[in-house]
Order: sequence, then structure tokens, then C-alpha cells
Amino acid sequence: MSRPMRSTFFSSAILAFALAQLASAQTPPDLTGVWGVYRGGRGGDPKVAPPPAGPLLLKPEYKKPYDERQKLVAEANARGEQLATQGAQCIPYGMPTMMSVAIYPVEFLQTPQQITIITEAFSEVRRVYMNVPQRSFDDVAPGYYGRSVGHWDGDTLVVDTIGLKPSIAGYRSMPHSEKMRITERIRIVAPDYLHDQITIDDPVVLEKPVTYTLAYKRMPKYEMVEFVCDNNREYVDEKGVVRLQTHEK
Amino acid sequence: MRYFLFALVAFAGPLLAHHSFTMFDMTKKMTVVGTVTSFEWTNPHSYIEIDVPDDKGAVKHWSIEMGSPSILQQSGWKFNSLKKGDKPTLVISPLKNGMPGGFLNTATLPDGRVLGNGPGQGAQ
Repeated sequence: MSRPMRSTFFSSAILAFALAQLASAQTPPDLTGVWGVYRGGRGGDPKVAPPPAGPLLLKPEYKKPYDERQKLVAEANARGEQLATQGAQCIPYGMPTMMSVAIYPVEFLQTPQQITIITEAFSEVRRVYMNVPQRSFDDVAPGYYGRSVGHWDGDTLVVDTIGLKPSIAGYRSMPHSEKMRITERIRIVAPDYLHDQITIDDPVVLEKPVTYTLAYKRMPKYEMVEFVCDNNREYVDEKGVVRLQTHEK
Repeated sequence: MRYFLFALVAFAGPLLAHHSFTMFDMTKKMTVVGTVTSFEWTNPHSYIEIDVPDDKGAVKHWSIEMGSPSILQQSGWKFNSLKKGDKPTLVISPLKNGMPGGFLNTATLPDGRVLGNGPGQGAQ
């Protein structure tokens, strides 16, 4: 190979490598698939287990009723009674609780324009619209899932969600206002392990934002099971306690 | 142990999808033998409805709560694992209020298989 030819060859190779690196840097990871909640625990891998949650700091006027309610719940449990919850009445969890319900998995369906998240428990659905501006609070009707917009920050999916009903049970049963904003940073932290770092900001209720992380593990062959809550035998009695209806339907 | 505590700290959602086990006496196990009147493969829970004869021949009806289909399939259950007329043996934790209902621990099916009630509940 002559010197000019060799020089051209190496320049082309370097350019091709640089382009490949650029392409891989710009290609987001594919989150499509079913993910099971991964809590770490005994025998779990501490490198991919979720880190401890930050403190939940409520403003005094919200902390007092919150603490009182938690006390009532604990007292009822000690009596062998469960006070009414939305879940016991088959009301969906909404954001952000829906992202981690018992051992039920979540499914991500990813396209460049939209990432759809479907939970198995209660078949809840979120739609994350990619690379579009978020609306103002006044332009999003409060609901269970709000409006979510997302973008890729390198290998991390950043999702901004607003428009959540104050009546939805909040993280750790915290109260929240219509001004609650949830920011998620979703990233594959190791092959087949996903973290969703969730930050809740609510200037009305919280002294400062609270952050916690959920971890998931891929379930490659899992087929999501239908969950339509059409046989709820639990009812809430006149004292607000959950009871099981025992007679045959 | 360290990891176990770590997991508790990291916990951030309901451990059960629907309700807690508080209404059942989970420390108690009793055996129920009878005839299935229906097997309901439903959400948020599945149920075994069962007629249970006592020593004198009188029949009492029991409603036995199970996990959801998603949870149960992890213990080997299928929508047709039981049918009307089957005579399984059920080990249950009864309701604390004395009503004829309980939460399934294990079921011995007519074919001899012993199935639990989802991960961490009875036979695995």
C-alpha cells in the first residue's frame, strides 16, 4: 500500500469508528419488555438492589394529620383489622405507587415517539410522550397517571409527570397537592437490571423533594396476566374496616 | 441479614396488591375437607367455594380466599385446577371474626398434587 493510500485507509477507519461510537452514544437502550420488581433481599445482588430511600419530610400542617392517620392504621392492625384503602376497593393505584405493587411486573413498550408502561396489577397504563414540551399545570386535568413527557439524557430516560389527583394514595400514603411533580430517571444499571429513581416534589406539602429508587429485573419469557378486578369480595364496613364477604356469590 | 434490612429500607410500594392479611389469623392452620361448589379464577383474588360436612353430617359453606391468578400460577395453579364436585383437602388460616372463611395455605388436589398460595404462601 502506498503512503497516501495507507493514510486514506487509516483515516477512513478512524472516521468509521468515530461514527460507530457516536451512533451507539445516540442510540438509547431498549427498555421494551417485562420487568419484575427486584427488592434485593437475602441472596440478592447488592450491586443492583435499590439504594435506600430519602426521608419523607412533610410540612408541619400535613405531618400532624399524616402521623395521626398512621397511628390509627397501626392500632387497627394491632386489633386485627385493616382500615379501608383504595386498593382494597379495587381503585387503581395511579402514579407513582403503580410502579411497584407487590410482586406484579411492569411492561415497557418503547418507540422513538412514545414509551408505554403497563402494569400487571390493575392493568394500569402510562404513556410517556417523547421529546415534546410539558404543559402547564392549568392545562393538564388531574388524573391517576397525569401527563408524562420524556427525553433521553445519554443512557437515562428522564420522565416528567404532572397532573395527579390529590385523592390518589401517595408514596408511603403521603398527602399531595395538584402541584405535585414527579421526575423519574430510568436506566439499565446492569444487564437485565433496571432502576427507576423517582423524585417527588410538592411545594405545597413537602419541606423538600423526596427521592426513592425502584429496581427491576427482566423477565424475558413472561407473558403479562390479565387483571380485571371483577370479583372483589372485600367490602368496607360502617367503621371503615375491610371485611371479607363469605357467602357464596 | 444486612441485605434483608437493606431491602426493608428500600421497600417503596404495597407488599400486597389488594389488602393485608390482617383479617385472617395467619398463626392458625386448620384443615377443611369438602366438596367444591365453584372455583373462581378471578381478580383481585381467586376463591374456592366449598361445602364442608361436620361430624353429624350437617353441611357448612366456606369461602376460601387465594391469591390472584398471576400469583397462583407461580405455585402451579391453572384456571381449571379445581372444578365443581371435586373433593380437595384445604389447609387454611381462618378469619379472625369467626365467619366461615379463610385464606388458603395449601390445597391437596384430587390428583394428589399439593399446591401453595403463591410465593411465600404454603407449599412451593
